[in-house]
Amino acid sequence: MAVGTMAGYLGAAGLSSTVFRNQLLPKEKIDQVDIGEIKALKIKVISETSWYDNNVFLNDVKGAGGLLVNQYTIPWTREGVKAGYQGSNLGGFSTYIEATLMDDKVMKIHFDTGWNPAWMEKRFREEGIAEKLAKKEIDFMVQTHEHIDHFFGLEATLKFYPDIPIYVPKGFYQEGFDFLKGKSFPVAGAINNIPHRGKVTVLDSSKVNVLYPGIALMTFDVPIILRVFGEQAFVFNVKDKGLVLVTGCCHQGIISYMEAVRKKVKGGEKIYAVQGGLHISPFEDWDPQYDDLIMAFNKYGVQKIGCNHCTGFITAEKMHKAGLPIVKGTARHMTKRDIYLGNGDELMIA
Amino acid sequence: MSHQVLDTLWLEERKYTDIIKQPAVRGTVNVLIAFAFFMALWWVFMDPRGYLRWYTPQYGYMYIRWLLIVAIWQVYIFNFWPFKPAWLEKTHPLQKGLIMIGINFAVTGILVWVFYYGIFGKLAIPYFSWPELKKTGLSDFFSREYSSLAILMMAAIASWLSPIWPSAFENYPWHRMQQPGKGFTVLAVTFLFTTYAYFIFMHPHYRVLFYPWQEYTAAFPWWYDSFRTLSGNFNVGWIMCATVSVWLTETILERYPFRLVEKQPWRGLAGFAFILLLAWILFFTFTFMQDMVWGVSVEGAKRLMAPDWRYLHNGELAVILLTVALALYFYFDNWPRKFSTEVNILVRVAIVVVGAWGLHWLYYKFSPGLLGTQAGYSHPQQFPMAPVILFINVMLYHGWFMDCWPGKRIRKES
Repeated sequence: MAVGTMAGYLGAAGLSSTVFRNQLLPKEKIDQVDIGEIKALKIKVISETSWYDNNVFLNDVKGAGGLLVNQYTIPWTREGVKAGYQGSNLGGFSTYIEATLMDDKVMKIHFDTGWNPAWMEKRFREEGIAEKLAKKEIDFMVQTHEHIDHFFGLEATLKFYPDIPIYVPKGFYQEGFDFLKGKSFPVAGAINNIPHRGKVTVLDSSKVNVLYPGIALMTFDVPIILRVFGEQAFVFNVKDKGLVLVTGCCHQGIISYMEAVRKKVKGGEKIYAVQGGLHISPFEDWDPQYDDLIMAFNKYGVQKIGCNHCTGFITAEKMHKAGLPIVKGTARHMTKRDIYLGNGDELMIA
Repeated sequence: MSHQVLDTLWLEERKYTDIIKQPAVRGTVNVLIAFAFFMALWWVFMDPRGYLRWYTPQYGYMYIRWLLIVAIWQVYIFNFWPFKPAWLEKTHPLQKGLIMIGINFAVTGILVWVFYYGIFGKLAIPYFSWPELKKTGLSDFFSREYSSLAILMMAAIASWLSPIWPSAFENYPWHRMQQPGKGFTVLAVTFLFTTYAYFIFMHPHYRVLFYPWQEYTAAFPWWYDSFRTLSGNFNVGWIMCATVSVWLTETILERYPFRLVEKQPWRGLAGFAFILLLAWILFFTFTFMQDMVWGVSVEGAKRLMAPDWRYLHNGELAVILLTVALALYFYFDNWPRKFSTEVNILVRVAIVVVGAWGLHWLYYKFSPGLLGTQAGYSHPQQFPMAPVILFINVMLYHGWFMDCWPGKRIRKES
């Protein structure tokens, strides 16, 4: 009996997981939300150059104990870097977005605040963001996730607009909230002497968060290197074009993101454009699963890809060779190559 | 009915005295001691908040993998050589443990630093050597990570093939040889098979790992069309299931049913086939379970939805299963033993499945606080096999080198 039971179990397990697999698997759940439409979208890259010397950055990581160490405890190199900005290896990521609603009102969005406050302030001034912040013309700031290069430059934003409304993803650690309130982390060089005085809204992954008609944020509960958790990214629905995904780092993975949009956002079958960091080979490292991604990307029919930052030059080159529609930039303001939509470059969708 | 076993290990001949008489208390105390030792090792060597912080992740993970293989060599292939049974019986478990674990660490260090970094990586394939990769212009960090990955991938295969010869083939046809000749022979044969298997199952991963693809030096990942990933994680997943199958048959399954085959090498071949069959059943069952919970994986996706991560997670789930099986075997005397072999095995399998379910929950609930890892199932730089295999190593040290002391002590007349 015992032998029979065991053989029966093993047989049933084997059959159910092979022959009858498709019959037993639950049906895919599609539950799309209509997020509305906007007329036009302008995306301007303020800074995608998060660090200037890969080896210096990686040596900081290695010296601290690897990719799982808490980012607030790592002494990031801030001087003596030849390729850096004023000797500092720190740059930062920030994008400025204008979304024209159907009633012609223009929503102005500050998307991440970068890393090195000196570099970020310079870029904010050069692109007119500092002025818009100071005049409170910018409607709100979206903090995509808590990573150093997207967040530690907070002071450069608060200096001009200390009560700017901010959206953060669920998963922010207490250090992140303390940093917003004006606490500094000197070892990591995360200094903020200007407490944020505006509203902070935490968005979770339970639903598609529609902020305005045609403008939504999606949050992903993902653990990320350097002890960060959670990331959010934009979905815009541009009339007559389709959905546009704008990301900070996209640690959730661009294919996973597009699949989530397909299941949860009306029109998700047609993604018109993708812009931002795609977090594939940020350190010019590689893994065979990144080739899986590039080979699969073509199946989604995306018409414009304006990648930069943590996408990796190797990835951008491979995507270009694979026939993906990479939008090239101008390689200015310390962006190293034109295969990225770089600092000061714009993507218009209308 | 079992037939005559050609070759036995000292482990199978030793007899115990129970120091703690009550079995459940004895088992629990021993589990807690093993866990405390594991936590100490994790803090010193691995924890991202700890002392050496080698969970970078690949660097420390590589050592953990090889510590396991070296322990298998020490006990299963060399049968504790150069130590004599009399010494093993009379020496205090603490002293014995210290010496055996010291040898385990030293041999692992020599393997990595002399064999892989100094010889194999330097003179044959650079991706096996951190210094050699660095010379090619790769960053110091990724030179170490890539070489660690290659070395630990070879360990994954070794953990499957090394113990099969003593376990299933009972060292046939070298069973009459004396140590250390027998040990070196079996080591050479299993290492040769491991190397062949590595080149078939893992080397194609490295064709794709570097940019541009290394098409003159490695075959295209031949599993891509069937399994939708170029990553060698597909092979790591099923090979870990095979490793786990070896040890399930060796412990809770008591080499059943292939021990019923009368003669070698047929018994060994039947064992090898059974282990492979069990591995594939585990692999497909775990794949199916994940598809049920998270939906079918998507080509090119990352994390939970990535095919390659799912395969790797099959291996992780199998290792969790093995942890419970080994705890039952070492600390709870492979309970139950009073029924027929078949019923005993059935009850044990049920215990292990339920226990693995519990351990899986405990791991993902408490590992962020205890181990300094991050919450969530799928993290591109976290490998639950690292802490779980380290805990298995500790149980092996405790059970093999230290006779499960202080719960038990070896009986000297054995």
